[in-house]
Amino acid sequence: MARLTIESLRKFFASTVAVDDFSLDVADGELVCLLGPSGSGKSTILRMIGGFEQPTSGAIRIDGQDVGRLSPDRRPTGMVFQSHALWSHMNVFNNIAFGLKLRHLPRAEIRRKVEAALELVGLGGYGHRQTFQLSGGQQQRVALARSLVLEPKILLLDEPFASLDQHLRERLREEVRDIQQRLGITTLFVTHGQDEALALADRIVVLRNGQCEQADAPDVIYRNPQTQFVAGFIGQMNFIAANVEGGTFRHPEMSVAIGAQDGPAVLAVRPEALGLVAAEGGAGVTVVRSTDFGSHIMVDVELSDGTRLKAMTSPAMRWERGTRARLVPSAYALYRDNKLVVSGTVGASTAAPAFGAAPLVV
Amino acid sequence: MADTAIPSAIGGSEPAIGRGLKGLLLVAIPVFLVGWLIIYPIIAAILSTLFVDGPQGVHFSTASYQFFFSDPYSRANLALTLWTTGLCAVLLLLVGLPIALYLRFSTSRFADLVQSLAIFPMFVPSIILSYALIRTIGPNGTLDILLNAIGLPKIPSPYLTPWGPVIGLVWDNLPLTVLMLTAGLGSISNSAVEAARDVGAGPIRVFWHIILPRMGNSILVTISFTVLGIFSSFTLPYVLGPASPEMMGPFMLRTFNDLYDPLNAKTQAVISFVFCLFFGLFYVWSIARNQRSQTR
Repeated sequence: MARLTIESLRKFFASTVAVDDFSLDVADGELVCLLGPSGSGKSTILRMIGGFEQPTSGAIRIDGQDVGRLSPDRRPTGMVFQSHALWSHMNVFNNIAFGLKLRHLPRAEIRRKVEAALELVGLGGYGHRQTFQLSGGQQQRVALARSLVLEPKILLLDEPFASLDQHLRERLREEVRDIQQRLGITTLFVTHGQDEALALADRIVVLRNGQCEQADAPDVIYRNPQTQFVAGFIGQMNFIAANVEGGTFRHPEMSVAIGAQDGPAVLAVRPEALGLVAAEGGAGVTVVRSTDFGSHIMVDVELSDGTRLKAMTSPAMRWERGTRARLVPSAYALYRDNKLVVSGTVGASTAAPAFGAAPLVV
Repeated sequence: MADTAIPSAIGGSEPAIGRGLKGLLLVAIPVFLVGWLIIYPIIAAILSTLFVDGPQGVHFSTASYQFFFSDPYSRANLALTLWTTGLCAVLLLLVGLPIALYLRFSTSRFADLVQSLAIFPMFVPSIILSYALIRTIGPNGTLDILLNAIGLPKIPSPYLTPWGPVIGLVWDNLPLTVLMLTAGLGSISNSAVEAARDVGAGPIRVFWHIILPRMGNSILVTISFTVLGIFSSFTLPYVLGPASPEMMGPFMLRTFNDLYDPLNAKTQAVISFVFCLFFGLFYVWSIARNQRSQTR
């Protein structure tokens, strides 16, 4: 259990900025997900914490001690790699025992610790197997056991489930969460899967171009995204570009009263906060597709300027292709220059969380 | 239905046979050349050293082999060849492995220059290399001139000593060694090395416990390959080596050309071939082992 502090971390690869002025404080036992698209710098940050990359500037502290210049073998961190990186010339037992042998622990203690680690990841009795005899999920569990057996202060997970199928990924992430909570180990988890981050994290850090866009609890990230990028990256989001005139966001197919200064802006509305009402005559937007997901129907509509939006409707409602409809937003956020200007529910504009507060419009 | 099915089945098999014949024709020329220029001379050489002409006609005899193994000079030549081959193999590994490790794991721009320098000898013909070494480390060569210029005594020149061919052969075989070892190191992923660093292994332990066991096959292949080339080398030992004892390549040529003794020259060739065959089998075994481990 430990506290991780990252201060003004920067990393340049030649003239390319990989991480730019990144700071983060991870509390004891917290699980933080670094989430972002490819090239956002999330793996580079993790590798700098693990000691596999040297920061260009900034500090990395674990329990107050600066570890920024220590080599990986001298850091109190344990890393699980995307490709599990098991050593194929060793069996499962020796893979896990390798770190303990380097620490010259007595043989009996090594055996006890390895067996306990295998039990922890649900692979009791697998010690004698060769790594190539295991499935992808089992190999990743061995990699996790190899890190956990050394009782690191900080556990680093670099997209550990990326190579697994969806079903196994969901099962393993629940197991990892259980193990992490049972051990209370401070954990940093890198992923580009938003569902993984939302399901696992105590806190999500959304990264873009090496900078932190927003660091908050999953529900806050989803319901109150502070930038247009976060709003678009987490979950599904509709963006409509138009002008605010006289306190009203005006678009030919939708006008929303908003307490914001006049000028161009982008209105963001989640599909679950966008209702559809049948329009009379030729007015409104055009339904282009309707997909039944069982629990709800996702209706794709097209605005007169060609913008496509998604609206989540009740399975009781049927929308045929070509039907005209009127848009009824119940919650929104307004962005200008990637920054949140205002968010709220229709008719009650506030700076309070908006998207989750809105009922599903049916 | 049966009437139509049978012709179509026959028609379907004809192209397969045609393809098979075409495939055989494609490999026929190289197979014929290997049989004619390699297999036949080997068998002919072995038979002609064991079935020799005598007063009572052709008869079985191992006299030439008995002569080779009882003759101190022949034994000394074989011993020198084995010594040179073994020493070169060890030196090539000792020199080539650090270069290959550097090339595999270095991210420095300097690595490109090191690679170019390591590969350069591949493009230098052996005879040019021999004379370059004579001019550099031979008596009154560049090294002696430089030492003399700063008031130091001359070095005992390795030219025309057993060390001459060793230096030349190591220089000549270094590119192939580095290339093969670098290729072997390529199969070791960065994350495997990083995982070892992560659990507490320093660079030496990473090399000993992770890298070395996983490149055992490529080391075996490299040794087999270089040993085959060095054992049967001719130009460098001929130009740089001592007159007596001498390596098997120059020894065979001198027995054949200067002593006009084709039987003993062929016997030396067969004995050299048996040693190379052993290394060749070792090479094939290494390749097979490598393929087995890759299919896991």
